[in-house]
Amino acid sequence: MPRAMWTGAISFGMVTVPVKLYSALNRKSVRFHQLSGKTGVRVIQKRIDPQTGEEVPYEDVVKGYEIAPERYVVIEPGELETLQPKKTKTIEIEDFVELSQIDPVFYDHPYYLVPTPGGAKPYRLLLEAMRETGKVAIARVVIRSKEQLVALRPMGDVLGMATMIFADEILPPERLDEVSEAAEVKTTKRELDIARQLVDSLAVEFEPGRYSDTYREEVLALIERKAQGREIAVQPPAEEVAAPAPDLMSALKASLDAVRAREGEGGARRRKPAAKDAAGKKPATRKPAASRGAAKR
Amino acid sequence: MLARAGALPVEDDRWAHENNSTTAKATVQGRELKLSNLAKVLYPLTGFTKRKLIDYYAAIAPVMIGHLAGRPLTVTRWPDGVQGKSFFQKQAPAHRPEWVRTVSLPSERKPIDYALAEDLPTLVWLANLAAIELHTPLARAEAIDRPTALVFDLDPGAPATIVECCHVGLQLQGMFENLGLQSYAKTSGSKGLQVYVPLNAETYSYADTKPFAKAVAELLERSEPDLVVSRMRKSRRAGKVLIDWSQNDARKTTVCAYSLRATERPTASTPVEWSEVRSTLERSDPTSLAFEAHQVLERVADRGDLFAPVLSLVQELPAH
Repeated sequence: MPRAMWTGAISFGMVTVPVKLYSALNRKSVRFHQLSGKTGVRVIQKRIDPQTGEEVPYEDVVKGYEIAPERYVVIEPGELETLQPKKTKTIEIEDFVELSQIDPVFYDHPYYLVPTPGGAKPYRLLLEAMRETGKVAIARVVIRSKEQLVALRPMGDVLGMATMIFADEILPPERLDEVSEAAEVKTTKRELDIARQLVDSLAVEFEPGRYSDTYREEVLALIERKAQGREIAVQPPAEEVAAPAPDLMSALKASLDAVRAREGEGGARRRKPAAKDAAGKKPATRKPAASRGAAKR
Repeated sequence: MLARAGALPVEDDRWAHENNSTTAKATVQGRELKLSNLAKVLYPLTGFTKRKLIDYYAAIAPVMIGHLAGRPLTVTRWPDGVQGKSFFQKQAPAHRPEWVRTVSLPSERKPIDYALAEDLPTLVWLANLAAIELHTPLARAEAIDRPTALVFDLDPGAPATIVECCHVGLQLQGMFENLGLQSYAKTSGSKGLQVYVPLNAETYSYADTKPFAKAVAELLERSEPDLVVSRMRKSRRAGKVLIDWSQNDARKTTVCAYSLRATERPTASTPVEWSEVRSTLERSDPTSLAFEAHQVLERVADRGDLFAPVLSLVQELPAH
C-alpha cells in the first residue's frame, strides 16, 4: 500500500472535500549506485572547498545566485523561508474548463486524490458533476512549500490531479527555426490523401500496456545474469568465430548421428520420460539414496 | 587428502576459533586472520551462516585448490547474504593480507590485480569477505589465452530444468566419446549442467576451442531444434536448453568446481558421474542433482575429486 504524501481538502465555493494525495507514478527506471571499481565499496560524496581542500559542513553551505560570471548574490537559508507561500491545506479550485482545451504539454506529474473519512459524499458529488459536464477543475495548491497549478479530472471512480507547467515555462515552438520553414511547404490534395491512407492503415485503439520500456528490461536482464554469476562480455559478432573445416563438421555430425541411433535403440532416453516410467523403473546401477545424500530434500 | 565429514577443519588445530563469538582470530597454516560476523545468516532459508561458509571452503580446499590454482579469480560477494546486495569483484580487495598472491592482467581500461586462491588461508580469507561464488577462466594466468579445457554451459530456460540439460549433456558425452574424447560433467550449482572436455595441451588457443564449441552447439541445435538453442536470445529459450559455447573466451569466467552459489539453498557446483546424469534423466528428477555444502563434502570424502581428470587428462581435438 503506497503512502499518502499530503492530506488536506479540495475547496470550491462553500464546499470542502477532505482528501489525501497519492502519487500515481511508480517510476521504474533502474537506479545504480556508485562503487569504487577497486574495492567494490560504495563511494560517498563530500562538499570540498577547492581552495582550502577542506570539507565544508552542511550547516556552512549557503545558496549563491550567479548574477555575473563568478559573482554571486548570497542567500541565507532564513531569507527564502520568509518568501515561501503560506502552507495552506487546501486545493483551491479557481475555474472549470473543457478537458479538450488543455494541451497535454501542460501536464506534469500525475496524482490521485482519495476521500478521507467524512469526505465520501462531497467527493462523489464533485466527481460526478465534473463527469457530467465534461469539465476539468483548475486549482492551486501548496505542496512541499511550492505553489502548484493543478488540473483535477475524473478518472473512473477516482479524482486525478496533475500538476501543470506554467505557460511561461513552455518553450514556444516558433522559437525553433525548422518549424517555420516546414510550415511554408506546399502540399497537394493527392499527397495528403496518400498520407491519410497511411495513417488510417496504422490506426488502432490506444492500449498503454502494449508499450514497455525495452531498454529497462534489457538492463534488468543484464543485472540478473551478472547477479547469477555469469560474466557479461559483449557477444562477439558471429563472423569473428570461424567455422571449422568441413571434414571436422562431418566427423562431428557422424558422431552425433551415432549417439542418436544408439539412443533410438535404448528408447528410454528421450527428453521427458513419462512420470510412470520415472517412478517405476530404477536402473540397477543406481546406489541407494542414503549414500547419495541428495535425495533427502 | 580431505577429512571425512564430522572432522571438519573447524575442529582442527590449524584452525581454531571460539565457538560462539561472532568474531574470531584464526591462525590458518601460520597465517593470522581476523574473522568477523560469523553468526551472520547468509542463506535465510536454511540458516547457513558465514561460519558455515568459512567451514565449507576450509574443508573443500584440498580438492578445490587445484581447480583454482593459477587462475585469475573473479568473486561475487554477498555481505548481507544471498537475498541482499551483491557485487562482482575482479580486482583483489585493496585491504588484503600481504601474503595473498595476485596476478596483474591487462583489461580494457587499466590492468587488474586478480587474486589467486592457491592455498587454504586465501580461501578462508575470501569466505570471510562473504565471497560466496568463485569464478575462474578456462586458462591459467601464465598462459591466459590457452584454455586447459573446453566448456559447454547448459542453461535451462523454464519450464525446462536440469533434466533436459542431462539429455543434452549425454548427447555431448556420447558424441565426444565417438570422437575419442573423455568429457566430465558438473552441476552449475544453480539450475544447469556444465560439460568439460579436458585439453591440457598448450597447443590450443581460444581461437581453436571457441569455433569448435560453437559448431558443436549449432549441430545439436539443428538436430534437436525443439530442445536446444545456441544463442542467448531469451525469447526463444522457454522450455529449451541453451548450449552456451561463448564461455570459451578469454574474457569470460565460469563458476569453479565446488564453488557455492548464491541460490536459495547453499548448493555447490558439483562434479557428478555420467551414471548420475543418466539416472536423473531417467527418473526425471531435477532434485537428485542438487547438492548442498555438507553433501558435497560427503561426496568428496566417498569418491574423491571427480573433476581431477579435467586438470590432468591431455586430449587432442579432432584434426581440422
